[in-house]
Amino acid sequence: MIRAVAWCRAEDCGAVLADRPPVFQAAPRNHAETIALIQRPVKYIGRMTDECRVCLCAAHLALRAVEWNDAREIGLLAAGDAGFLQANQNYFRDYVANGRSMGRGNLFIYTLPTSTLGEVAIALNLTGPAMHLHDDTQPLAALVQHADQFIADGEADGMLVLWSDLHAAVCLAIDGAGAQSSAIQMPKGSTPKQMAHDLAAMARPA
Amino acid sequence: MNVVIAAGDVASAYGWGLDALWTGLFSGKTPICSTSRFVDRGFVSDLMALVPDLQTDGDESRSMAMLRRLLSPLAGKLDPLTPLILATTVGEIEYVERSVLNDARELAESARPLVLLEKIKHLLALRGPALFLSSACASSSATLTRAASMIHHEQAQSVLVVTCDAVSEFVYSGFSTLLSLCDGPARPFDAARSGLTLGEGAAWALLASDQSPLTKGWKTAIAGWGNTTDAVHMTAPHRQASGLTRAITKACAMANCTPQDIAFIAAHGTATVFSDAMELLALRATMDRPKPIFSIKGGTGHTLAAAGLMQILVAARALSLGVVPPTVGLCAADPAAAGWVHTMPIELTTGRAALSTNSGFGGVNTAVILSGRQPA
Repeated sequence: MIRAVAWCRAEDCGAVLADRPPVFQAAPRNHAETIALIQRPVKYIGRMTDECRVCLCAAHLALRAVEWNDAREIGLLAAGDAGFLQANQNYFRDYVANGRSMGRGNLFIYTLPTSTLGEVAIALNLTGPAMHLHDDTQPLAALVQHADQFIADGEADGMLVLWSDLHAAVCLAIDGAGAQSSAIQMPKGSTPKQMAHDLAAMARPA
Repeated sequence: MNVVIAAGDVASAYGWGLDALWTGLFSGKTPICSTSRFVDRGFVSDLMALVPDLQTDGDESRSMAMLRRLLSPLAGKLDPLTPLILATTVGEIEYVERSVLNDARELAESARPLVLLEKIKHLLALRGPALFLSSACASSSATLTRAASMIHHEQAQSVLVVTCDAVSEFVYSGFSTLLSLCDGPARPFDAARSGLTLGEGAAWALLASDQSPLTKGWKTAIAGWGNTTDAVHMTAPHRQASGLTRAITKACAMANCTPQDIAFIAAHGTATVFSDAMELLALRATMDRPKPIFSIKGGTGHTLAAAGLMQILVAARALSLGVVPPTVGLCAADPAAAGWVHTMPIELTTGRAALSTNSGFGGVNTAVILSGRQPA
């Protein structure tokens, strides 16, 4: 069951919940504002990619919306290849430009599809399963189905599902509570950017 | 219902096929050798474990060349609607290299994993759902757990898992930068280990329910699994091994097996100082007594995403034949590994299950329990 959907993009961020008013606020404009939003120290925020930062903010907002605490085993699933494809090019271009004998470790570590998940897990202390999982036709719906299976298998108490591109991220908080609990429908949108736009329109105060 | 390995195969530095890998490990010799591929780059090492006789077709990537030859015997033999999951960390990364070196940005698009996924579907004439999964160096073992879960939940009757990663300048330069490479062939769990050797490989496995006609005569089941994250560091393992320990505990609980049931362990065993130490801590915390451990990376090198499935296919054969391969590259065991790792094959006398473990960047951990078929 989807309990909350959060988003973060250049303009704004927030969350839509099943049984409470939505959250809407301006997006953090720099590292200090990002840390203020996350409300806990975030190591190495300066080296993170833009995609990593919007994912971190969206994941934090989703967690805050559902009020899951650290005692729960929370997992992470993610889809979207724009971030690591950009990171791959950034790393190799820098390596070639600097003589093709040594790369930069701080660029190399973001070249994996799971790099963003690793940073989000560290920053938010999420210790459940973490995988990048991209369905070739319906990325978000497939992630939700797999998230449900992780919970049913006992691998996690709850799952955060991230869908992102370079500058926008959407995060769904999913748990295994019964249908009697409040849930929200899968948001519409063919890209993370479009979905974030729609969520902002839904949550923005009149 | 059991989810079982109906079939599988592998390409490694030992050659084409599981037989070549199995025989190579028992020979005790390593195919890791010096190459001139990245000569004059100033990397820490020039050693790697390359798949032999790999012919690339035109501008084809090494990953696709491995998969084309390895998967060709399957073409037309699978139900076209069989779900496919591809596990890789960098896939066809050569296209990123070429796009930068030739200043041709459009080439980078060809490196998208979904492009490789589509090529595999085309090669095998598959029309069903297809996924790309990455979980760093635990990718293919994590993929196996996803496939097993899909079958358990009756989302599919069978799932084809495919994995590959090739040695590339991109990856080699990165690991050289991180000072993870050793200047001799990798020596997993050795007292004098000093780093990993990069290798390349590809593998596939067809998983299915034991009710399926595909699995007549099956020998190995995926009995349980656990996936966790350390949440402490992007590249270093958890010093107390808490993430891997939890993964093993979860896997044993799902498989309803006790430490006494575990006959041996197929370890990640990269041969880096801290990763092997962390793995030993987790095994000591979860097992009742020393169990035979093997790592294939002294022979195959570290094949990144492919490592997990490759070692699982070896473990499945070891469980079936009742003998554990030696750890190639091991000379003198780390004191913490004494009594666990061996330079010679070990005949199994007890235990009905095997444990396979993998960990990777981002703090990911996967544990898988394999069980053998019980006599009727």
